[in-house]
Amino acid sequence: MSDKKAQRPVPRPSFYTKPFWDGARERKLMLQYDPDAQAFQFWPRPISVKTGKANLEWREASGKGVLYSYTVCHVPGAGFEERVPYVVGCIELAEGVRMVANLVGVEPQDATIGMPMRVTWEPVGDTNYYAFEPDR
Amino acid sequence: MKDNFLKDKDVAIVAYAETRLERRSGKSAFDFACAVASELFDKTALAPKDIDGLALIGPLSEAGNPFWSNFATDYFGITPRWLQTTDIGGCSATGNVARAAAAIQAGMCEMVMMVGADAPSTINRAHYGGYRGEFWEPTGLPGPPGMFGLLMNRYMAQYDLKFEALGKLAATQRAGAVLNPNAYDKNRVPITVDDYLRSRQVASPLRLLDSVMYCDGGNGLLITTTERAKTMGVNRPVHPIAYSEITNFNGRDMTPDITETGFSMVGPEALAKAGMTAADIRMFHPYDDFLIAELLQLEQIGFCGRGEGSQFLLDTDVSFKGRLPINTGGGQISAGQPGLAGGGLNLTEAVRQLMGEAGERQVADAGNAMVTGIGVIPYARNWGSSSVLILEA
Repeated sequence: MSDKKAQRPVPRPSFYTKPFWDGARERKLMLQYDPDAQAFQFWPRPISVKTGKANLEWREASGKGVLYSYTVCHVPGAGFEERVPYVVGCIELAEGVRMVANLVGVEPQDATIGMPMRVTWEPVGDTNYYAFEPDR
Repeated sequence: MKDNFLKDKDVAIVAYAETRLERRSGKSAFDFACAVASELFDKTALAPKDIDGLALIGPLSEAGNPFWSNFATDYFGITPRWLQTTDIGGCSATGNVARAAAAIQAGMCEMVMMVGADAPSTINRAHYGGYRGEFWEPTGLPGPPGMFGLLMNRYMAQYDLKFEALGKLAATQRAGAVLNPNAYDKNRVPITVDDYLRSRQVASPLRLLDSVMYCDGGNGLLITTTERAKTMGVNRPVHPIAYSEITNFNGRDMTPDITETGFSMVGPEALAKAGMTAADIRMFHPYDDFLIAELLQLEQIGFCGRGEGSQFLLDTDVSFKGRLPINTGGGQISAGQPGLAGGGLNLTEAVRQLMGEAGERQVADAGNAMVTGIGVIPYARNWGSSSVLILEA
């Protein structure tokens, strides 16, 4: 531990999110899919928000989407002090869910709502954390 | 639409209390809660033995205490037959008025004390758990300002947002705080539209002066039957006449329009229950964690059309002297946010105005008021709970 400096929080998988983090370790974006409702959901939950049933599958997502919104962070979250100012985006994936994530390779002035994005990964703890970069 | 259980005006608010707002007071929620209770007893000549219902909010500063409400009864010396802690964040105060009214009508109690108290600038014991540790905190998005930065930017992509309009609202509310002796001392200095525009970026496009600041403080009400209010000789009782609330609006939709909030449902619904339109509302006391939330409420409750919030604010005098006074005591943004007791700040000011006790900032002909609540910031949407309460003197 480097004493006083805030560390980026490391996700601690729960029982029902383990497949997501197992996938992340291999840089695969895994999403929950409800075959009854024929819909993906994010973040993972023990049951489907559409049907209330635990009948959920894990499917690998395309990792592609568009930027739905973004904000330029001038006051950092824990562990992001050296990135200020940095961009956090809300990405709408092709699968029909949204994810909030750090944008890499995007200067604040270059972020544009609607721009195509694809998933990328950053090492955090003993796993990888999802981020998004421009899909050029 | 559900039946309006408040239509007969058989429930009345008979007293309000509020402490001054302080930063890092070193006090606890119990200190502020007891100060509120004591003021309510003083004002009504009631004693702890006379209170048979107690409604509280769950404070951030007592978040680790699973028996907060039970402890509170013991601090107050109250022996309630109906006890409730409401945890819908900033909707808890308006929500407690409705819950207390229902409990009174159901015969569970007759004299309800409602107290909100919190001291998060001294200690914040909140730990959110759930999905947040895995799917929010590691993203670098800084708390509520970050999520509101996303919301504001999306609004700007869909509609015309004029920062001068938000600046006008900020400056007007600040003028209210200057006239409010309970407002946090350091906020009792005027600001201009330019001060707002020049304030530093936090989560662009959201600025520092778009946002609330945690303070320590408390507020509360006494609620009883209208019959009892008459025998108590209350001068100007305030009646809740309509209430609507929703939590997890759009909660099953993974890709909703995030600029669409629960107020698009509960705003028009509460007005319909009261038999009113937005034009009938004399003053508006909206929950104000961020300025953009007030603008969205103006549009979605129906004071103006979608995307017209900026122009409405520029065209309307929203000071206490104006056509639609908004948050006349400074609101939370200028008076300070007493943690999860914040919703009670907007509510207390509305009741004070309706009782004609707002002093230098008194609204003329303050016959009715709309008070709202916003609770909890969910993942990649706007807010979790929305509530609208309409009061009449």
